Amino acid sequence: MSSAANSTASISNATQLLPALRALEQHEKLYIIQFLAAELSRQQHEFLLPEGVYPVWSPYDSYEAAEVMLQAIKEKQAKD
Amino acid sequence: MRFEFTSLPTQKGEGALMPFLPLILRFGEREIKTHGLLDTGSTVNVLPFSTGLELGSVWEEQKMPVRLGGNLAAFEAHIIFVNALIEGCPLTELAFAWTKADNVPLLLGQTNFFMEFDVFFSRSAMFFEVMPKGANP
Repeated sequence: MSSAANSTASISNATQLLPALRALEQHEKLYIIQFLAAELSRQQHEFLLPEGVYPVWSPYDSYEAAEVMLQAIKEKQAKD
Repeated sequence: MRFEFTSLPTQKGEGALMPFLPLILRFGEREIKTHGLLDTGSTVNVLPFSTGLELGSVWEEQKMPVRLGGNLAAFEAHIIFVNALIEGCPLTELAFAWTKADNVPLLLGQTNFFMEFDVFFSRSAMFFEVMPKGANP
């Protein structure tokens, strides 16, 4: 299905919900608004949470080590 | 060969999915099945201390010291050569910086994993492909 067709189907699904949403009590509508706001926030920040621990192990700046290792590889290949 | 993104048993959620490559490491007579994290930002391959011991390597006998940066800068490391067997690829010798640290996964980095293998990533489709260098995709 194309993205345009997907988008049309999503709007159609949302439109079908409208009569049910209109029929809700005021406090229920407020609850839905809060739920959707929280859901949007969660989706946007799901992967980066405050106080989360995100370890990075990469020795990304070890160019000298890489050079030493390359030299060792060459010497070993020459020996083999 | 195509592999799926996976997460460590201790991690959950889509954000924890990483390109962990299943592989067999051979060192002398010993062989272990493990996973290596494909890390394009890592300058070198890194072997955690306990994995080196599992392979039967003896720390006190190492004679090729190498200095690592980043989180591993505080730990001693030595160069060690290990044969790696990856599904769909021939046995390949990899050079690792065997670190005294254990709070690190087995890292497959630029020297020399990405020099020996071509890799295609699709994070959105949750897979990656690994093939010997120069092989047709």
